Amino acid sequence: MRRLAAGLAIAVALAALPSWATNQYQVHLATLIGVYWVLIAGLNLVVGYSGQLSIGHVGLLAIGAYVYAVLAGTWDWPPLLALAASGAAGGLCGLLLGLPSLRLPGFYFAMATLAFSLIVAELSLAMGSVTGGGTGLAVPGFPAPFDTPGGLYWLVLGIAGIVTLLTWNVASRMWGLALIAIRDSPVAASAAGISIFRAKLTVFVFSGVTAGLAGALFAALQSYITPDTFAFDIGLFFFVCIIIGGRGSILGPFLGTVVLTALPEVVAPLAKLGNFFYGALLLVVVLVIPEGIGHLVEIAAARIARRRRHESHVVQPDLPRLAAALARGPAA
Amino acid sequence: MTALQAQAVSKHFGGIRALDQVSLTLRPGEVHGLIGPNGSGKTTMLNLLSGYYTKDEGVILLNSAPIDAASVRHRARLGIARTFQKPRLLETLSVLDNAMVGAWRDASSSFLSAALALPFVTRREAALRERARELVLGVGLGHAMHRRASLLEHAEQRFLEIARALAARPRFLLLDEPAGGLTVAEIGHLEAVVRTVRDAGIGVLLVEHHTDFVFRVCSVVTTLDRGRIIAQGTPDVVRNDAEVNRVYLGA
Repeated sequence: MRRLAAGLAIAVALAALPSWATNQYQVHLATLIGVYWVLIAGLNLVVGYSGQLSIGHVGLLAIGAYVYAVLAGTWDWPPLLALAASGAAGGLCGLLLGLPSLRLPGFYFAMATLAFSLIVAELSLAMGSVTGGGTGLAVPGFPAPFDTPGGLYWLVLGIAGIVTLLTWNVASRMWGLALIAIRDSPVAASAAGISIFRAKLTVFVFSGVTAGLAGALFAALQSYITPDTFAFDIGLFFFVCIIIGGRGSILGPFLGTVVLTALPEVVAPLAKLGNFFYGALLLVVVLVIPEGIGHLVEIAAARIARRRRHESHVVQPDLPRLAAALARGPAA
Repeated sequence: MTALQAQAVSKHFGGIRALDQVSLTLRPGEVHGLIGPNGSGKTTMLNLLSGYYTKDEGVILLNSAPIDAASVRHRARLGIARTFQKPRLLETLSVLDNAMVGAWRDASSSFLSAALALPFVTRREAALRERARELVLGVGLGHAMHRRASLLEHAEQRFLEIARALAARPRFLLLDEPAGGLTVAEIGHLEAVVRTVRDAGIGVLLVEHHTDFVFRVCSVVTTLDRGRIIAQGTPDVVRNDAEVNRVYLGA
């Protein structure tokens, strides 16, 4: 009940951000964080839960952005329909990328996603008649009520909220456990009857959909896109947000996204450091708290809990209970 | 016949014959011991039955139907569960969640229905969680229900592996040296758990070095030496077999 109230309070505060923000730039920054989070929330199931090290999701982001820019701009589709098409295109490309690459061992999978993002970057440059080549494309915004900075923020907030809820539902159920089993012990996962490839492909396609949606929102927010907008750095940035936040958590990568997006913008000297800042932060996290900042919260909670009860390690089977549990059929 | 069977199964690794024409039958409600010196092929047999290895010769049958083509995952779905010599737990998850993973087959929900939190998924998973909880309590880990698996001591890890395997509602349970590293008292608890599992109609294959434990709990014992069966029968027959005493028991 208290958690629900806290969640509600946060939702209201977030929704009201355009009214309490002191300038337009803060709204823009909050929107950008939301856009990144739409992608990272989906990617988190791939990287943080199933343990597949995709560093090429910027390619899927670019595909979503160009699909939106071309459909809503050149072809004059209704922007919201173009947004849905971007999600579909991201999912389809995720499927096409995942099918051949998800069977590869970790390192080679990471290289395949890297190669994918490089190919997308080259194609967006080469297919000038569609993408505008190096000159780029102007991107139309969304219709009212999403046509103001505040309106776009709400649209992004709404989509980010839905995506967060979906990933939360997955992570907190059997699927989340299965993904962690795939990450930490494929042998145990297959012994439990989990179809490893299918599960990996499913979450990868889901992350493609969220990356495609994020691409469309990103393009609308930037209002102009060129191949340079989708530099390989951004793909690494997404990955780093999850690692710094902590694997197997949703809150951690969310905090990672907020901190890593906002800090260089808010603290001017950090912006000058550019990728050095991300690199240094990543190094510190990996060396000092390899399980991420999300894990710090858990450790603190466990410390407090441990003080209260003493730890027993004595195994004492309860045989009648075991027999009763074994006699139970499959759950209804 | 309801049974998990190996018929004249052979397995080579390079030039080494790990198993040579080995046959054994594991029936429901029976504990079958598999003993022998290190390297005699016990774990190889377990890996063949659970699908981690494929046989070179012979046939593996489940209820008289060959299952050689079935993958590990598929065999798990057919009701063959196993534990590992070195426990393979999910260290970042709680004890209860580890046991819960075993019930994946019964959850059988699609990604979409989980993402949308459809009521039937939530209801079914709540029931499976309740059953996993009872299994954790049943094997004696109630004190550690919500503890991270990485914080468990060795014996606790072994019992949790059994709980996870049982959460899959297996018809056959293959235990790979479950008593390894346990104290005498803990082996006593393990024996009680194995008997309870057997009485529930599950066939248990016990790969084990603690021969006292094996002879107490098994109704059939197979002894391997360098990939071949040197004795097979009731504990009394095997214990008094001259060859078994010469190569293994060292009487």
